[in-house]
Parts: sequence; C-alpha cells; structure tokens
Amino acid sequence: MSTEATKAEILVVDDEIQIRRLLISIMEEAGYNVRKAETGKTALTEAAARRYDIIILDLGLPDIPGIEVLKQLREWSHTPVLILSVFGEEHDKVAALDAGADDYLTKPFGESELLARVRALLRRVQPADEASPVNFGSVEVDLVRRLVTKSGQPIKLTAREYALLRLFIVHRGKVLTHRLVLSELWGPRSEEQTHYLHVYMTRLRQKLEDEPDTPKFFQTEPGIGYRFTG
Amino acid sequence: MTRGPIPKKETSLIAWGAHGSSSSREYIETITVISAVTVLGWFLAPHTSHLAFGLVYLLAVIALSLRVGRWPVLLSGILSAMAWDFLIIPPHFSFAVMSVEDGMMLGTYCVVALVAGQLTARVRAQELVERLREQRATALFHLTRALAATRTLDEATTAFLCQTEEVFNAKTALLFIGENDTLSAHHANSFSLNETESNVAKWVQNHRKEAGRFTQTFATAEAFYLPLSDADICHGVFVLCPAPIVATITPVQRELIGDFATQITLMIKRETLRTAIERERMLARSQELHHTLLDSVSHELKTPLAVLSTVIEKLNTKTQVERESLLEEVRIATKRLTRLVNNLLNQTRLESGTIKPRLDWCNARDIINAALRGIADLLSPGNPVTINIPADMPLIMADAALMEQAVFNLLHNAIKHTPQNTEIILSAGVRNENPPRAFITIADRGPGLAPELRINPFQKFRRAANAPAGGLGLGLSVVRGFVVAQGGEVQAGENPGGGAVFTVYLPHFSHGVVPIEE
Repeated sequence: MSTEATKAEILVVDDEIQIRRLLISIMEEAGYNVRKAETGKTALTEAAARRYDIIILDLGLPDIPGIEVLKQLREWSHTPVLILSVFGEEHDKVAALDAGADDYLTKPFGESELLARVRALLRRVQPADEASPVNFGSVEVDLVRRLVTKSGQPIKLTAREYALLRLFIVHRGKVLTHRLVLSELWGPRSEEQTHYLHVYMTRLRQKLEDEPDTPKFFQTEPGIGYRFTG
Repeated sequence: MTRGPIPKKETSLIAWGAHGSSSSREYIETITVISAVTVLGWFLAPHTSHLAFGLVYLLAVIALSLRVGRWPVLLSGILSAMAWDFLIIPPHFSFAVMSVEDGMMLGTYCVVALVAGQLTARVRAQELVERLREQRATALFHLTRALAATRTLDEATTAFLCQTEEVFNAKTALLFIGENDTLSAHHANSFSLNETESNVAKWVQNHRKEAGRFTQTFATAEAFYLPLSDADICHGVFVLCPAPIVATITPVQRELIGDFATQITLMIKRETLRTAIERERMLARSQELHHTLLDSVSHELKTPLAVLSTVIEKLNTKTQVERESLLEEVRIATKRLTRLVNNLLNQTRLESGTIKPRLDWCNARDIINAALRGIADLLSPGNPVTINIPADMPLIMADAALMEQAVFNLLHNAIKHTPQNTEIILSAGVRNENPPRAFITIADRGPGLAPELRINPFQKFRRAANAPAGGLGLGLSVVRGFVVAQGGEVQAGENPGGGAVFTVYLPHFSHGVVPIEE
C-alpha cells in the first residue's frame, strides 16, 4: 500500500536520539522516506519546507511543547499527525486529539502497532471515494444511497446512528474524541454529554458488530474516545 | 468527700487578695467591738449592776478570738478591762476602784479574758494551719488530676494555667524555650510580657533562679518569675502576676508555687522524652523501610535488566530457534519492567497528590475489555476468563484510564497468585443499596488470600510470604489509591468455594435522558 510509485514522506519529531533512530529504522525498512527533527522549531520549519504525508510528533519536546507545535501546524496544514506520548498523559492526549491530531501511541509501543497506525493514516490521506461502498466484516455501507446491510440483510439505522457511522467511516483509523463526536452530532452545546455517545455506540455495535460485547470495528479508547478500524 | 473544684464558699487561704491584709482590719474590728460594748454599757449602767458587764465584755473577747488573730485578741482583753474600769466601774473617768469586790472582779476578768482569748486564738491558729495544709493538698491534687487527664503538652499547659490562675487568683504565663534559646509564650497565657518583663524572664532563664516581684532581684518587676528547671536544664519560665495591691507572698504560697512548677516541669520533661523516643522510632522505621524498598526496587529493576543484557550477548551465537526463545525472554523482561515502572510512577503520583480523576460516563464492559487486552499475553490458554455483565448494565461514573489500570492490576494479581488453568471471573453490575453502588468484581479459584494479608492487603510493599518471586507489592496499593481517588472503595474477600474476590465499588449515578429520535 505504501510502496507505490512515490514513497510516502514521513517526518519524525522526537528529541530522544534512540527513539528517533529506532523510528527511522522501522519506517525506512517499511519503505517510507523519513526525515527527522529534534525540536519543535525545526519541526515547523521542516513541515513548511516540504510536503509530508505523516508527521510523528512527540508531546514532550525541549523547546516548544508538542501540543503547541500541533496547534501552529494546524493553522495552515492538514497533514495527518500521529502523537507519541508517555504513560500517564491521558489528559494531554485528549488535548492533542482535540487540537487536531489524528491518532496517538503510548510509549513503549511495538513496531507492528506503529506501522498499523501509520498505514491507517496513509489510507485516509487518499481521497475517500464516496461512490464505492464501504465494507467491513459482513457489513456493507453505501454512502450514496444511505444503505446499510449486514450479511445481505438491510439494517435499519436511525438518522443519528447513520450520521455517527458516516462520521466514523469518513475518519476511519482516526481516534475521534468524545467532544468531537458530540459536537458534530448533537451540537457544540452537548460536548459534555458523553452518555449520549456511549448509548449510541452500544446501539451501533449491537446492530453492526458480530460480537457486540467484544467489538472488532468500533473500538473504545478508554477515557479518550472511539476509533473505527473497519 | 467530693473533689470538685475548690468550693467557692470556703475562703481560699492561698489566693492573693481573697483574705485581705489581716492585721489592720482585725485591729479595727477589735476596737469597734469593744467600743460598741462600752457604749452599750454606758447607757445601761444606771439600770444594771456594773459588774454584770464583765460577762458581756468576756463574751465579746471570746467572740473576737474566734475571728481575729492572737495579738488583736490580747488587745481586746486589755482594752476591754481598761474601758470597763474607766467608764463603767465607779468612779467614772478614773482607773481607781472603790471596793475590794470590784478589784477582785476586775483582776479575775483580766486573767480570764487574756487566757481564754489566747487559748481560743491558738486553737483557731492551729485550725487555720490545718485548713491551709488541706487547701494546699487539694490544690495540688486538682492540678495533678487535671494534668493526668490531658493528652498533649499543649492541653496540659492550658489546664495548668487555668488551675494556677484559680488557685492563686493571679494572672499567669508559661514561657517555653524554643529554637535558639528564645522564650515563646503559650497561647493560653493570661499575662503578657512587655519588654522589661521579658528581660526579667530572660534573666531567670539564664540564671535558673527566681526573680521579680517579692524577691531581691528585679524587685520592681510586675510579676514573680520562677524557672522551670531540672538538674542543669531550664525548660521554661513560670510567671505569676497578682493584683498590684498585693504586697507579700506567704511562705505557703511560695511553697505551693514551687510545687506547681515541679508538676509542670515533670510534664514538659515527659513530653520531651516522648517526642525524642517517637522521633527515634520513626527514624528507625523509615530507615528500615528505605532499606527494604531499596533492596526490593533494585532487585526488581535489575532482574529484567540482567535478562536483557544476557540475551543480547547470546543472540549472535544461537540458532534461529534458540533466538526465538531468547527473544521471548526479552519480551517478558520488558513487560515486567514496564509494569514495575508504571506501578512505581502511579504510586508516586498518588502520594504526591497529582492524580486528579476526570470522572465521566464509562462503559464498564469497555474498561474490562481494555484491561483484558493489556494483559492478554499473560493469560495462559488454560486461564478461562468469564465475564458476567447484565445486558442492561448502565453507564458508570469513573475515570476510564484509572479504572482500566485498577482492573489491570487486579487481573495481574489474580493471574500471578493462581495456578494455571483456573478460572477467572469478571463481573460488573449495580447494587441497589442506598445510595446505589456500581461494582466490578475479579474472582479467582486460587488459594485465596494469605492469612497475613487478610487484614489489609492493599498496604504498599505488602506481599504474601509465599508469593511467587517478582513484584514490589505495589499493585494492590495502586488499585486502592486509584479507586479511592474516584470516590469509591475496594474490598478483598474469600470466594465461596475457594479463591479470592476483589470488588471495586464506585458511587452509582443514573445518567440523564438521551434525546429520542423519530
């Protein structure tokens, strides 16, 4: 997927030399073009100078906090950002995702996990083809005709359930924070009403997942939000 | 005998000012009484025998002897004899006596009045000494009893000052020696020292001798100062300031003040000794804890590190299959290190109070699933996990990240302490008590809680004597910390039919209505 005609360009921003070396080695081995930045400032210059497909950004940078780098970046760029954080920064993770980050990984992380996230983000970069139906498991979603079927049987979804499903499909692979989903579906005034979202997610899982109790496609990121991995 | 505070009806013989300055008042009283009897006699003399007045005078003298001291009584005897002779026994206005009978009468009167007066006065003086002794003993008794009832030096000092004030009818103060030998006043002091007075106190502290009012040193000072010293150490200064009109201190008062000072000195000494022992014990305990902690932390950190460095050296020399198994060791060691560091960090965060739970609606099933995902590689295939969650399980109010870690630690604890192939049962639900509580239960079929852990298995660094190697004994302590931070509690118990059960309880709330769609 990634080794197409043009290799995907990845910018790694981390001040720890070992992590940087490791990330570069993993990425190059997987066939990506990798460049590095050690500080927030060089990261912003780097991001402005070239076009990147993904930026892997550490939250704890020596000069500018990672979250600030992200906010400045988001003023003019839509490049997907994968956040790296250390254990115990749940609050910072949510803040970063709300500020426009696309996904996060907690250190220490495994190589396969990292590559899976990168691939998911790269897939999203490609323009979503709304014309072709989306398939996951035994479910097929036709976004044009607003039709959802499971094993060939039509599934009845309410307007909001469908809107929720569509939001996840559009942002597949991306962690959607509670706040973001609530604001999209129920309006900015309902950002704190997390129970709306939990109740709808349970319904959506019951209608679409094969085993709603151990969901495969609609995954929970505890305390942060949900991710659709169809 | 009742032992309340000194009854108010009985005049205190110890308090300053309560009994006034005796002598002058007693002399005035004596002269007044004798004059009154004489005036009465003067007017009644024409109608009665002048000799009968001897008996009235005698009555007055005896009555006086019950109220006044020896010398006023002596005065009353002489005065009455003279007044009787001079004004009532004819011839009037003369000390001469007209008949032998009158002379005998007067002579006898003199002897009887003087002897009876003196005897009564002596009996009274003795009784006074007795009362004084008893009051002194009572005062001391009350003080020791009040001090014994106190728990801290502060309480003792307050009680002491209160008693002293009442017993001596004076303003009081206690000054303690603080850092750099400075004197600091106690908050219950009723007498506050100005600069001059403070200098006197300082002198008393330095010389460990009494000074101030009633003494030769700093006699012009407002108050009387007594050092609270014991051997060569001065523990403080005791200050007494009676009303300004008080001119003297009786030996009994001085003695009792000394007794009081001894009592409070003993209290201070006891307290100092107690704090010293306590500090010593704390130090020893913290040192011991420090040692165990350092020992176990270094052991726990070094074991996986040793595995890692050994494996790295061996990797080059082995075949592919051997490499695979070595890499598995690396994975296990890394996981162990990660868990250890996480628990250490969590414990530190808990103790530094930086954990601020962000409570929000959570799906209990999601929390359990996330914890199970995290621990999946430790679950042997034979560890069947059963999850019992009612279909209508409502959302719970919790911090998802903290709850996930708590459930993870409880699962890890269950896996570690139970043999392979035994069941682990996870349940969640809501108890409809008042107030309702949500719960998540982790039950196993292992050997159950070790007897030594039954009382408080959540204490940090506590591990069962027969626990498998590895671990610091922080896991359950972190669980409790996280759950308590969210306003809940965690309980450990026996699983009916064998094994241990850990239950996390959280206060349960019902969420608001979710808007209904068409």
